[in-house]
Parts: sequence; structure tokens; C-alpha cells
Amino acid sequence: MDTLLALLTVFTQPQLFLLVGLGTFLGVYIGAIPGLSVTMAVSILISFTFSWDVYPAISLMVGIYMGGVYGGSRTAILLNIPGAPSAIATAMDGYPMAQRGEAGEAIGVTTVMSFFGGLVGIAVLALAAPFVAEFALTFQPRDYMLLAVLGILLVGSLSAGSLLKGIFAGALGIAIGAVGRDPLTFAERFTFDFQIMEGGISFIAVMIGMFGISEALLQLHHVGAEAMRQKIDRIVPSWSTVRKYLPLSLQTSSIGVIIGALPGTGGDIAALMAYDHAKRVTKKPTRPFGTGAMEGLVAPETANNAAVGGAFVPMMTLGIPGDAVTAIMIGALFIHGLNPGPMLMVDQPQMFWFIVGALLTANVFILICGLTGIKLFTKIVEMPRAVLIPLIMLLSVVGAYAVNNSVTDVYWMLGFGVFGYFMRHYGYPLGPVILGVILSRLLDDNWRRAIISEREDLGAFSAGIFGSPLSLTLLLVVVAIFVSQTPVYAMLKSRISKRAADQA
Amino acid sequence: MKIDYRGDADHHDGTSDATPGGYETERRPGELAFALFLLVASLYLLWEAYGIAGFEALSSAGAVPMATTAAMAVSALIIVLRTARLPKVSTESLARDILPFKVILFGGLLVCFGLLLVPLGFLPTAALFLVLAIKYLSGRGWGFTLAVSLGSLLLIWVVFRIVFTVLMPAGIVPEAELLQFFRNLGTGGGAQ
Repeated sequence: MDTLLALLTVFTQPQLFLLVGLGTFLGVYIGAIPGLSVTMAVSILISFTFSWDVYPAISLMVGIYMGGVYGGSRTAILLNIPGAPSAIATAMDGYPMAQRGEAGEAIGVTTVMSFFGGLVGIAVLALAAPFVAEFALTFQPRDYMLLAVLGILLVGSLSAGSLLKGIFAGALGIAIGAVGRDPLTFAERFTFDFQIMEGGISFIAVMIGMFGISEALLQLHHVGAEAMRQKIDRIVPSWSTVRKYLPLSLQTSSIGVIIGALPGTGGDIAALMAYDHAKRVTKKPTRPFGTGAMEGLVAPETANNAAVGGAFVPMMTLGIPGDAVTAIMIGALFIHGLNPGPMLMVDQPQMFWFIVGALLTANVFILICGLTGIKLFTKIVEMPRAVLIPLIMLLSVVGAYAVNNSVTDVYWMLGFGVFGYFMRHYGYPLGPVILGVILSRLLDDNWRRAIISEREDLGAFSAGIFGSPLSLTLLLVVVAIFVSQTPVYAMLKSRISKRAADQA
Repeated sequence: MKIDYRGDADHHDGTSDATPGGYETERRPGELAFALFLLVASLYLLWEAYGIAGFEALSSAGAVPMATTAAMAVSALIIVLRTARLPKVSTESLARDILPFKVILFGGLLVCFGLLLVPLGFLPTAALFLVLAIKYLSGRGWGFTLAVSLGSLLLIWVVFRIVFTVLMPAGIVPEAELLQFFRNLGTGGGAQ
């Protein structure tokens, strides 16, 4: 009964309901406007909702997250520019459809399928999370440490071309998170004897710098780019169209939830894998894939929205984020004094059910925002970058300042913004940095707890890992990711593919 | 497009979030210098991490920092070696594709924003920044620039000052008195 009440909190309080709706609405547009991203919006918003109560703040951010994942598909279809990484696969068939003048239909189907995928993801979250949390209570500190390493490595290896750059970025994040006085021994770490660094670097300044300022600086390269105009008419899809793709969408939603739930993998990977799956199982696509096949649109869009629910599973139960946006959501929960992890589920189950309720509401709002307001949409997307870029910069400065009322944070933010700008140019992924900053404390604490409980004996520590199936599995996956980057793996792979070619 | 390597053919035109750029088989202008900078910085941080507690204990405050900075240094070294072997992109130059004047100018503008924020206050600094930035970027007339920048500043101020109750440095503008004045107007001066 309590669970049900907590789930319905959003519906019983009109203020929260409206905030979720507003968040979703904003998310759809932020996701759709090229140059604005969900990660940017959520990082800036954390600082603004800082003084709010936790429920309204979470309502707004859940809405933006959910809406943003969907909103990225709009520009993928209309302009061949994925508004978010999770919409990359959407562009492959969505843009060809728009070129044929079927943009309206593509958007309509995308909206309904996103809603459907989101629903599946939330259902799985509600059903699975309590069990995972219970299981997670048996985790040893070493398991948490391995999970944190795994999460950072996966984000580094899957979101970019070069794992090495991902490793560098993740390690840099952990180091940034370690700056300041060590909470256990009060030893100064990376403070360079500056007093202002003793309190550490505000992770919000890092986030806003990396995702706000660096993006705005990059957008300066395209300030003259013309805003595109597209004619869109009918967008509500017919029931028969929806029914036709229901079986496929159920499969791809399942893929989305599972991929989303793996630590370190988010909507972008889920969407690409679902697209691949659709390609394999669809015998007769409406058109060949890549030229505007409806299946190629349904698969990634269901998967990336289903991945949202999936990504909340490790985030809420283990405190391990699935990607940059969930890392920022964890940051938001931290700021409001919540500590995501198995204990949150035990101590404050109502918070978990409230978030499930908010996700559910946001999902319904996607359907509403997605199928209406097309005229307004085209107007907003045409907002000139000459105005947009200075506004992003202004909001970033205000956001960085607002959390601690400190100009130092503004300078950190600018510094990381410029650094992130170069990182983006040279192919270093930013996601692992944020994951590293967020997970730094968890990793450090658990490593020390694990090694102290083994009396500083590395032998006993490794024996512990090899004695537990869970720890061993985690370790093997970590090792496998490393091996996949060495010449040994490339050699093996070429040998296997050669053998396969010989047999064929 | 290779799925596992998103490339940067369009310089991230709108593909926001943490989508990395760079090329797989070529080196962009300044890429090697950046990699070298990262290597030197990592080595310095490794030295700094060693200084926290040395090799005192596996559970010391310096253990994780040393491990992470070592990981940074090793990966940075391999990145330097790999990058050095790649041929340069022939179609790009540092001044045009990586650090054009616009980017440097905005970097400078932002630093000035930070410097003036407290002494001058949020409203005048932000107004100055928006007017200069929008005028320069849009190349439109003063009417457009002033209307758009001051209009959006007013909107932002109303939303954040009143809805989000974010306090920004007041500086030379008597913000609180101004707000009180409007509140009094709203209540028909009855509050006095």
C-alpha cells in the first residue's frame, strides 16, 4: 500500500505532476535543438534546483532526461543530426524517410514507439530493482570497486573509438574526484598547497564546464550554419501501423532494457544493437535498411527509451551510473542528500517508487508533447546559434556560481570547459571523466575497505576475488576489456576471421 | 560511417553530448602537443600522488590516486606514441579548425565575465556579455542586438531570481531594493 502511495505521489501533487510535464516538454526541445544536449541541461539544472526540495527537483530532472532521450530523434530524422548519442542509429533510416517527404510519419511512429519502449523499461525497473537491491546487499566492497572500474571502462571503450583515451579520461575523472582532503585520514591530495583546493573541486563545475562551455565553444565553429526548414504534416500514426511493429518493438525493448541495465552502457549502445537485431530478424523490411525502413526506426527508438528504465536499475540499486546522464542524475541525488545504492532501497523505498512514478508520468508526457505542437517545434529549432551560444554560456556561468556562491567554481568551470573543448577536438570521450568524478569516492572507499578487511594482504585479497563467483566474473570482464585492446586480440580476431573465410 | 568510431567529419555539428571527435588514421593539428601536455601533466600528478603517502600502505590515502595517475601516465604515453606515428591531416590548420579567432575571443570574454561578476554584479556584466556576444556573432543591427540580449536577460533573471531563487552577486545594481519596489507596487503600496 505504501508502495502504491509512493508511486502515485506524482499524481496526487499537481505541482510535481506539472513539473514532470514541464521537464519533459523542455527535454524534448532541448534534445531536439542542435547544440543543446540533455547532459548539458541536467548539469546546469542541478545547480538551479539546488535550493529546492528533493521531490520537485527530481521531478523536473526526470522529465528532462526522459524527454531528451526522445527529443534527440527529432533532429536525427529531420536534419540527419542526432540530438543525442542515443539517436545515432535513428538517423540511419529516419533521415532517408524525411528526404522522401515522410518526416511526419517517421516522427509519429518514433513517438509512439519511444513511449512503448519507455513503458517496458519502467516496468522492468519496477519489477527488477528491488531484487537487484536485495542481491546487492550481499556485495563485498571489492565487488563495488570492480563494478566502478568496469563502469568507467565500459563507458570509455564503448562510447568512443579508442579505449586508451577512454581509460585516460576515466582515470583523470577519478583523480579530479580525489582532489581535496581525504575524508578518512585528512591527508591533502592534489591540493598543491592551495587552501581553496582543500574542499575539492565541485563536480558540478566540472560537469557544466565539460558539457556546457566546451559544447558552446565548439558550436562557435558553426555559427553561420543555416537553420533547416522542413514541412511536416500528419504525424499521428494509424493503429494498424503501430500494431504491425509491435512484435519487433517488444524484442528491441528487451534488448534496450538489458543493455541499459549493464553498468557503463546506455541508450546509444542499446539503440545500435537493436538496429543490428532488427536488420537480422526482419526478413522483408518495408524498404532496404538504410534507405528509410520503418523497422530501422522502430528498433533504435524503442531500445533507447527502454534503456532509460534499464539504466536506472544499476543507478538506484548499486549507485553505479550507466552513462554520462545517469552519472549526472546520481550527482543530483547526492546534492539532495540521497545516496543511491542498495541502502537507499532499504531506507527510503518511497523515493525509489516516487522516481518510478515520475518516469511513468514523463513517458506519458512524451506521447503528448511528441504528437502535438509541431508548429511551435519548428519555430524553436530554428533559433539562431548567434543567440543560442551566448545564452548557453551565460547559463553555464550562472549555474556554476549558484551552487556554492563562489567565483572559484566559475573559474574551474571555465577551465574544464576549455580543457573539454580540446578533448572533444582530439577524440577523448568526456563521459568517463564525469563517471570517474562521481565514482571516485565509491572506488576509493571500497578499495580501502576491501584491503583493510584482508589486513593489507594482497594475496588474501586476490584469494577473496577468486573464491567468489561474482567477484571473479567482474574481474574477468575487466580483464577482457583490456585484452580486447591489445595486439593479441587483433591477432586472434584476424586469425578467426581468416579461418572462417577459408571455410566459406 | 563506422559504428564504433563516430569520427568528426562534421566537427560535431550538433551531435552534442560526449561524442568524441578526432580521426582514426590521421592526426589533427595540435593533437600531438595536447597528448604531450597530458603526458607531462600525468607524470607530474603521479609524482604529486606519490608525495601523499608514498608506498606506506595499500590502504593509504595515496593508494588510489597513485594507481589512477599511473594509469593516466601509461595511457598518455601510449597515446603519444600512437599519435606521433599518424600522418597529419592535410586539410586542417590550427588557426582555422581548432583555435579560430572566435573561440579565443569568447574564451577571453568568459574570463572577463568571471572577473567582473562580483565587483560589477550579475545584471550589468551579463548584459554587457550578451550584447557584445550577440552583436559580434549575429552581425545584425543594434536594435536587434539590444532587444534580443536585454529581453532574454530579463527573462533569465525573472526565471532564476524568482522561480529558482538563485542569488547572484548584486554588485552596483540595488537588486533587492528593486524587487521590493515592484513588490510594493504589486500590493498597491499597502505593505508599507
